[in-house]
Amino acid sequence: MRKNTAISTSDEIILKLKLLAREKEAVRRKLAVTAKKLAMTATRLAITAKEKEGVRRKLAVTAAKLKTSYETLEKKVLDRTKSLEMSRVKEEAILLSIGDGLLVTDEKGNIIIINATAERLFGKKSKDVVGKMFSKVIPLENEKGMAISFEKNHVITAPTTSSPTANPSYFFMREDKTRFPMAIMATPVVLNGMVIGGIKIFRDITHEREIDKAKTEFVSLASHQLRTPLSTVNWYAEMLLAGDVGVLNEKQKKYLDEVYRSNQRMVELVNALLDVASLEVGTFLIEPEPTDICKLTQSVIDEQRPQIDAKNLTFSFLCGKDVSSMQADPKLLRMVMQNILSNAVKYTPEGGNIALSIDLAGKKNLLLKITDTGYGIPKNQQNKIFTKLFRADNVRDKDTDGTGLGLYIVKSIVENCGGKIWFKSPYGNVKCGTTFYVELPLDGLKKSTQ
Amino acid sequence: MQAQKTILVVEDERSLREAIVDILCLKNFLPLVAKNGRDGVKLALAKHPDLILLDLIMPEMDGMAALKKIREDAWGATAPIIILTNLSAINGNLAADALAHRPTYYLIKSDWKLHDIVKKIESILAS
Repeated sequence: MRKNTAISTSDEIILKLKLLAREKEAVRRKLAVTAKKLAMTATRLAITAKEKEGVRRKLAVTAAKLKTSYETLEKKVLDRTKSLEMSRVKEEAILLSIGDGLLVTDEKGNIIIINATAERLFGKKSKDVVGKMFSKVIPLENEKGMAISFEKNHVITAPTTSSPTANPSYFFMREDKTRFPMAIMATPVVLNGMVIGGIKIFRDITHEREIDKAKTEFVSLASHQLRTPLSTVNWYAEMLLAGDVGVLNEKQKKYLDEVYRSNQRMVELVNALLDVASLEVGTFLIEPEPTDICKLTQSVIDEQRPQIDAKNLTFSFLCGKDVSSMQADPKLLRMVMQNILSNAVKYTPEGGNIALSIDLAGKKNLLLKITDTGYGIPKNQQNKIFTKLFRADNVRDKDTDGTGLGLYIVKSIVENCGGKIWFKSPYGNVKCGTTFYVELPLDGLKKSTQ
Repeated sequence: MQAQKTILVVEDERSLREAIVDILCLKNFLPLVAKNGRDGVKLALAKHPDLILLDLIMPEMDGMAALKKIREDAWGATAPIIILTNLSAINGNLAADALAHRPTYYLIKSDWKLHDIVKKIESILAS
């Protein structure tokens, strides 16, 4: 019985062991599966890690790129800002260093910018005037020292108009009571059709004025000095010729007459030179007054009548019926008439014709036309005929008295008066004479201030 | 016979002054002479001449200053005065001065015959 029992125990153990082994196998299998799974997971993780590393690397590269781009951009912005600042500073420096005085105002007339020259000119500091009314801090006056009223001050009113204004007669008195004349150019600043302010350019013209004055004084003095001995010769010769101090014999009379006439020529030359000098110095006075053109012309013709008759010239004068009185300087107009008429008389041979006509040309102009059957002006010299001291070859030997100044003076006067002068002289094999045209504005002359 | 009219000649240039004096004597005027503006003003105010011929550029006192002085006087304010000069009124100041002090005429010596100046004087005195 004991044996049976023993057997059965070992069987049980074996059975148990088998069972255990089976269980272990199952566990092992499970473990193997798990291990496999783990291995797979590990592999997957490894792959993911690799991928992540790739991404990370890519990100790092991108970040580096971004960093570089950013740095470049920042540098560019910095450079650009610097260059903009530089150019702004440069522009400001240019504005502020302009040799002329510069002042910029807003549309209300408050000063925005004043440059160094203007500071120096007016004796004011930028900080004291910027933001203040131009007319208050920089009061301008006229030649006589009177303040220029607001309405009359073109420099102030310029921003409300659209064109530049220049007026030569402005003065400024500094705080130290020194005064200077200024040339001012005031221009509105226009943006999108709106006036947003004004620019004023100032220049101290003391020096120019002094030069002008010196020139005028020279001309005046020269005229006085040259004319005095001429007057002496004139007057004494005149008294002798008139028999005021006794009767002269024929020979004496003839000689003295030569002296008198030569002297007269000198007087005319000096007068012509003076006219030229005055025109060039710009001090030619224009004093317009209502002038009867036809009457004035007739009196000029009457003056020349002896010369016209002496040469047996046929002379006609036609004054248009619509021509009435106009604003003109009779003195200057007379000079123009005298010159062109005496030229026609001088340069037309005996028995020739001269026709003078005055008429309206359109509504705005007066046209003076003088036609002669004279020597004409050689083609190759026609462009020089208004040049100072020029005399055409074909008349030099015919009339030795000419100064070569007449037409130069006429042209200067006519152009100063806003008119024009031209001529036609069809000079070929046959001489066809000359026609001079002078056109003058009917609304008359503006009175000159200097 | 009509009383002789007195003409004051204010002129610094001897030759011109003598020519004017000669013609005035010849034409039966009574000339008074002054060689500069200062003497001219003195004589004018003391003698009240019928007419004054006044040069412009002169020593001591120039003609324009003299004219101004004479015009300030009650008699001188309306006295006939002819500026007889060789100075063209080409600059604005001279022209403005001449306008302000109202000379009867402004004549340029070298453009005027002596006989024509006398005619001018006669016509002024006749009016």
